Amino acid sequence: MDIETGGPIVRATRLCKSFGETRAVDGLSLEIAPGERVGIVGPNGAGKTTTLLMLLGAIEPDDGTVELVGCRLPAARSKAMERIGFAAGYLPLPDKLTVIESLELFGTLYGVADPRPRAVEILGELGIGHLAGQRIESLSSGQGTLVGFAKAVIHHPELVVLDEPTASLDPDVALRVRDRLEWMSSEHRATLLLTSHDMREVEELTTRVIFLRAGRIVADGPADSIVADAGYPDLETMFLAEAARLREKAV
Amino acid sequence: MRSPSRRRVTAMARRNLLVQMRNPGHWFLLIALPVVDGLLFGSIGVAYGEGDGPVRLLVTGILLFHLIWQLTLAGSFGLLEEVWSRNLMNLLATPLTEREFLGALGLVGLVRTVVAVVLIAVVGFGFYAVAPDTAGWVLVPSAVILMLFGMAITFFVMALTLQYGDSAEVFSWGTLVLLMPLSGFFYPVDSLPPVLAAVAQVIPLTHVFEAVRIGLADGTVAWGQLGIAAVGTLVLLGLATWFLDRQLRRFRAEGWITRFT
Repeated sequence: MDIETGGPIVRATRLCKSFGETRAVDGLSLEIAPGERVGIVGPNGAGKTTTLLMLLGAIEPDDGTVELVGCRLPAARSKAMERIGFAAGYLPLPDKLTVIESLELFGTLYGVADPRPRAVEILGELGIGHLAGQRIESLSSGQGTLVGFAKAVIHHPELVVLDEPTASLDPDVALRVRDRLEWMSSEHRATLLLTSHDMREVEELTTRVIFLRAGRIVADGPADSIVADAGYPDLETMFLAEAARLREKAV
Repeated sequence: MRSPSRRRVTAMARRNLLVQMRNPGHWFLLIALPVVDGLLFGSIGVAYGEGDGPVRLLVTGILLFHLIWQLTLAGSFGLLEEVWSRNLMNLLATPLTEREFLGALGLVGLVRTVVAVVLIAVVGFGFYAVAPDTAGWVLVPSAVILMLFGMAITFFVMALTLQYGDSAEVFSWGTLVLLMPLSGFFYPVDSLPPVLAAVAQVIPLTHVFEAVRIGLADGTVAWGQLGIAAVGTLVLLGLATWFLDRQLRRFRAEGWITRFT
């Protein structure tokens, strides 16, 4: 079913990926409907990043298929990416360019016909219009993260993928970034897919949580529902219990 | 209106040119080094040569070296720049294709080549009265073969960069420096020790420069030498393209992107 006719915006079927002897993702299937806000969580090594990178076509699965916005990867990757935005809290935009030059570059790559006015507009929406002429390398971590979000939504994508959006930010800046992200998500009505180690952030920003363990989905649903089903008071406690369980198993 | 693909190529070429303009190291490689090389080789030719033959040979040799070297630098540094600025993942999550990326670097390489060649031509003509077309028509097919050879070297260096990241930097400028003495940019390869002279015969560049020397001596076009060079270069380009394609497949299959994030 195509996305235009109401199909899922992300459809992954029986994804498998191994690196050497390590099985990073093990038969993972998921569908994300338009408008959903989904968080993928799990301890280190659970397969979050590998899953995300396979969904973006940056890593090829050993087995299984990925369809994004109705386009089958890897053949239609370029077409699919015109409708997808990506930002990672740990990845800066390229240095030696100003903010506006960087946004113009990515706007053009994403297919925006006239990227400069759109870049100015999105910077204004995010409350960082004054940064337009600044070089990327001169930005603070929080400013860099917001510019990364601007890049991710400059082309009005249908799906925004965020990997650790507030990684390495102090709690105050992270809070402000989350506010902007929440506003941006509702304003642009894009489907959201994010990974994070900050469970409060996941609870705040998402309507559905996918919990991974050893490359498999072990829980999938609204945060309060999966937490209640597992018998924990909140997502953070559930996460810590899972991490402790893994540590014990390793010992 | 231009197609999205052409706009992406132009946007990436512009990004590369902006980055290079803001990096003093690139100015040195693009402006200072060609001028210094032109002066150095021109003066050596005047000092130790008899008549104008040696100076014409040396200035033409360094001009052709920069033609291929600047192209190689643009390609390999273009990818390295994305590695250094940790921008590969950002680019992978856009519609940009590998061909468009290579096309953009090719454009930048042409700009660099034109700038460096013009500078050496000005130095050669202004200070040593060596016209850039002094070897005659042989320069046209020679330039085409050299650029194809430069493309092959670039693909090879890029393929290594995908696997080894910035550890592959040395190959970006070092490969041609290594080939320069072996392929007789400035002298017949008979001057090399016999074992190296034999090795030189399998390097396509050797035959291009032999043809250029013949052109400089009597103005004729040595099609035989150029033919050998063209075939060798096409074989090398085929191998380099295959190697780059294989490395790109491994890049996605083995998750090498995680090394650059």
